[in-house]
Amino acid sequence: MALIETKNLKKVYTIGKNIRAEALRGINLQITEGEFTAIAGPSGSGKSSLLNIIGALDTPTEGLILHDGQDVSQKTPKQLASFRLRHIGFVFQAYNLINTLTALENVEYIMLLQGVSWHTRQKRSKEILKRVGLNDYIHRFPNEMSGGQQQRVAVARAMAAEPRIILADEPTANLDSKTAQELLNLMLELNDEKKITFVFSTHDSLIMERAKRLVILKDGVIVS
Amino acid sequence: MFTFIKIAIRNIIRNKKRSLITISAVGFGLGALIFIWAFVEGAHKQMIENYTSYLTSHILIHRKGYQQKNNLETYIEIPRNILSFLQQRPEIAAFAPRVKAEGLLSSAESSSGVLIFGIDPLQETKVSTLSKRIKQGRFLTPDSHDNIIIGEALAKNLNVGLGDKVVIMSQALDGSIAAGAFRIQGLLDTGVEEIDKGVVLLLLPDSQELFVMNDKISEIAIRLKSVEKAKSVAKKLSRALPASELEILPWQTISPMMQQWIEFDNAFIWIIVIVVMIVVAIGILNTVLMGVLERTREFGILLALGTHHKQIVAMVAWESVFLGIIGSLWGLALGVSLSSYFGKVGIDLSLFTSALNSFYMDAFIYPVIHMGYISVSVALVLFTSILVSIYPAWHAAHLKPVDAIRTI
Repeated sequence: MALIETKNLKKVYTIGKNIRAEALRGINLQITEGEFTAIAGPSGSGKSSLLNIIGALDTPTEGLILHDGQDVSQKTPKQLASFRLRHIGFVFQAYNLINTLTALENVEYIMLLQGVSWHTRQKRSKEILKRVGLNDYIHRFPNEMSGGQQQRVAVARAMAAEPRIILADEPTANLDSKTAQELLNLMLELNDEKKITFVFSTHDSLIMERAKRLVILKDGVIVS
Repeated sequence: MFTFIKIAIRNIIRNKKRSLITISAVGFGLGALIFIWAFVEGAHKQMIENYTSYLTSHILIHRKGYQQKNNLETYIEIPRNILSFLQQRPEIAAFAPRVKAEGLLSSAESSSGVLIFGIDPLQETKVSTLSKRIKQGRFLTPDSHDNIIIGEALAKNLNVGLGDKVVIMSQALDGSIAAGAFRIQGLLDTGVEEIDKGVVLLLLPDSQELFVMNDKISEIAIRLKSVEKAKSVAKKLSRALPASELEILPWQTISPMMQQWIEFDNAFIWIIVIVVMIVVAIGILNTVLMGVLERTREFGILLALGTHHKQIVAMVAWESVFLGIIGSLWGLALGVSLSSYFGKVGIDLSLFTSALNSFYMDAFIYPVIHMGYISVSVALVLFTSILVSIYPAWHAAHLKPVDAIRTI
């Protein structure tokens, strides 16, 4: 069974009173456990919309989104919040760390929501931060770190929840090419070591080359 | 919960200037409220103190029906047993027997209607402060026979002065004409028109002789150790003394008008409380709402990560509560310090002396700190800070994560 499956997924945004923008026009996609998939395509092709729906951040206008065979498109906002907390890790383009929390606290936050004990949270957060190479930065606030370091904290935060899938929306877009490669290496290592499924959107050709699977979107449909 | 509290505190620190302005607004509001309340309490205390220390006292004992009839016929016949009972009561500081009658005071040039009080000077000085309000001459002593004290304003109206003779005319208890000539021994100046223009004090035996009352009296004025207990002690005395023969009334019942003044002032204070609470509410709402709107993206992330609505609400509410708590502590310190300082040195309102005297207040008002209103003020500020956080918290909790994250 596919870890994630979309069936005839459609997303229409209504702008103003009459303007309808079709972001996704019937996406059928299967992602199996342990994949390292890049969703590529030009701006406006529907990459972010697809990731948002896969990540249960948004709901489709039509079609089904199945996680482990279960439809999540009909869940309430509260159920979706619990679902995201337990099953999905996010890495955003602009890092999106909580500015008032240190690197350690940012990583710890998800586990706190999950009800993990303080000792376990501390131990696991430090281990993960060490794993992503930020052992010396655990007490730094986001504004005291570089973009690459912040994105590593974001990856560590996504890992902290021990999700089966990490969704990353253009994770290297704000990074220089060297830092982007380092981050990609880290994600590939985690994919190999922990068997975490990675799905990320990108329009960076270097990143696309290193993805194990490439899905190309254009005007809301999969073209290859 | 600790993490949400930590985030709330750090958010307050994150925007120091705005938080400081809000805390200052809350603090000044609460400080002003406490000070105004202390001032009004001080004014009320002075009003009650002055009012009850002139002629009303804390409790008055009359024969049943005196309050309605208000005449010589409603006298207390044999007060000895009552007086010895009062001596044993621990709540009572002092008491004084009085004869009280209406009459006419005449000089060679003019005359004026007056309220005549026959007093025992030694006892009276323990229940009233009239002896301290003598502006010219001296107060009555046990040997001041055929001498009287009148108000300075009354003396002016009658065109008499110290040492001059005046005549009191009235009706005695037996129906005969009560008339007597008295020499003015002292002039009163209380600032209260009804006393300064309409009261005559003479010795109790002189008054009993004038009104043919033998050892009868009109009333017993009681001063308590604590004026706050006037109602409860009056009730106790009513139960202990023959209730069918006597009416024992606290000052609030004797003069409902004074009580109404105080109640009006208290109602007015609540208008000030509402205004201050609106200022506090706007201050905190502005800071918290601005903070929430600025952090729309952050709330989007928190929601995306799986934070539940109620946790977001708690986070925003804590922020508001902390602003309220810090503002309250600052306001408490400000209000209590100001009230304590002016409670010692007084607030000089001598420019308004005549107006204040009409309300039984002195030129200096001494604010009084009272835990009751301080607790109410602080509780109201904290309640307001929680109340105003509802909307920003609700707004933050109901953001759509996918839209909120896109917010710049």
